[in-house]
Amino acid sequence: MARWALISGLRGDLEAYEAIQTDLRHTRRVDTLFVLGDVIGPERECNALLERLQQPRRGDLQPHCLYGWWEEQLLAERGYRGGRRADALRLSQGEAAVDALLQAVDPAHMNWLAALQFGFIELDCALLHGSSAAVDDSLGPDSSPLLLLDRLTRMDVNRLFTARSGQQFRLELSGGGIESQVRDLEGQRQHQQSVPQRQVIGIGAGVHYTIYDPGSDRLDFFIAGTKPKQRARGFA
Amino acid sequence: MAHAVISCLHANLAALEAVLADIDQQGIDTITCLGDLVGYGPQPNEVVNLVRERQIPTCQGCWDEDIIEGLNACDCSYPSQLAERRGQLAHQWTADQLSEENRAFLASLPMSLWRDRQLFVHGSPNSQHEYLLPDMDAFAALERVESAGAETLFCGHTHRPYVRELRDGSIRVRVRQTPGEPAGVAEAEDRELRLPLRRIINAGSVGEPRHGNTHATYVIHHEDTNAVEIREVPYDVERTCRAIVDAGLPPIFAWRLRHGFEYAERADDASHVCER
Repeated sequence: MARWALISGLRGDLEAYEAIQTDLRHTRRVDTLFVLGDVIGPERECNALLERLQQPRRGDLQPHCLYGWWEEQLLAERGYRGGRRADALRLSQGEAAVDALLQAVDPAHMNWLAALQFGFIELDCALLHGSSAAVDDSLGPDSSPLLLLDRLTRMDVNRLFTARSGQQFRLELSGGGIESQVRDLEGQRQHQQSVPQRQVIGIGAGVHYTIYDPGSDRLDFFIAGTKPKQRARGFA
Repeated sequence: MAHAVISCLHANLAALEAVLADIDQQGIDTITCLGDLVGYGPQPNEVVNLVRERQIPTCQGCWDEDIIEGLNACDCSYPSQLAERRGQLAHQWTADQLSEENRAFLASLPMSLWRDRQLFVHGSPNSQHEYLLPDMDAFAALERVESAGAETLFCGHTHRPYVRELRDGSIRVRVRQTPGEPAGVAEAEDRELRLPLRRIINAGSVGEPRHGNTHATYVIHHEDTNAVEIREVPYDVERTCRAIVDAGLPPIFAWRLRHGFEYAERADDASHVCER
């Protein structure tokens, strides 16, 4: 079965993207590349990366892109989200960051950015920047398991791949349960529910990327550009 | 002390009068309303006036919100185009009828009310449009209460009253994450979260019951014992049905009041959160 590469948080860094593409081309036997958002950011000019994503070079894996938090801020500020503007960015980093973001992306790319999807469902997996609750939902290994289970339940998937936290982690729901008692006008009933065997996976950001094999459920975390024998931290 | 919670009045004056009389008869003077004062029914101004006269603390329901902000519910609210058309017709009729004063009152309603660690909302803490049905996923139900920081969540919106207790819960997780530098296979760490006891109390519906009976429903919470009583109150259903037809509202609204259930406007996906 096809192996997936999952990347995020490039924030205009074409070199990081090229390093990942080189890794994938030479060693990883991957045939699908998912880019879970934040391809743009205010730190550097993002146009070269945006052009490369839209027009891959020979030998590049074709990227399947979602929008992330930074795209959401830019789209809002450019008027693609109704009356909303980049309020979250303005509040957290100030007006200068909003200006820098506007400068970092040529308006010619806006239609491509506006056409990006919120998430992908592949097999029994959800691929999102944050979660189904919101693009800025930052899920990490220390998030409440109750909240993580909720995010999985909302999508009704067994694997949720998320990028917002920037961390690489695999969190398996391994056991537990809850007792529910409902009383209504028809009477009373009890129900015992077990925790489903589901997982939330943080895919990393920038040169930190993830390879997933849906056939075997094997997951490996990598850092692009490092020596092959040191790269893999895998577990099935 | 006893505390009455009512919800989903839906412009049904006869039902509201009967429920308030039932509450008064029991000497209860603390009442909270979970919204949807208007919509479907024929007496929006009369019902809002009565809630205002009685100075009942009220949070805003989905119908109240839509009347103020314009009808923009996503199609999750309706299982068919016919049902959606009826909903739009009722919305327009209600918007035309409502006085400016009552419109301003609906606009002033908060999304939620708190009393100690009791939270009062229309649908869920996430959205006025989210249905917390009695059999929805227990962990998801608990998450709604826990993430809001409440011990007991009072809600409405489903038009079916119930009391749900979620207890003896736990979630075990195994976490594997990488250190900052490449260094072999990641270590696994096992953790367990013990979940607290939490309750969801759905007040049912005063003005448009959907529990299989024509009686209006509401709940009484006895705070000293923490007991919850689900009350059914008979009222003059025919009076409201006649007013619906006389007002020119869709006759199906009268039909379902006479039967106490309906399928037309029920959204079944309890986990769905309207993304308008």
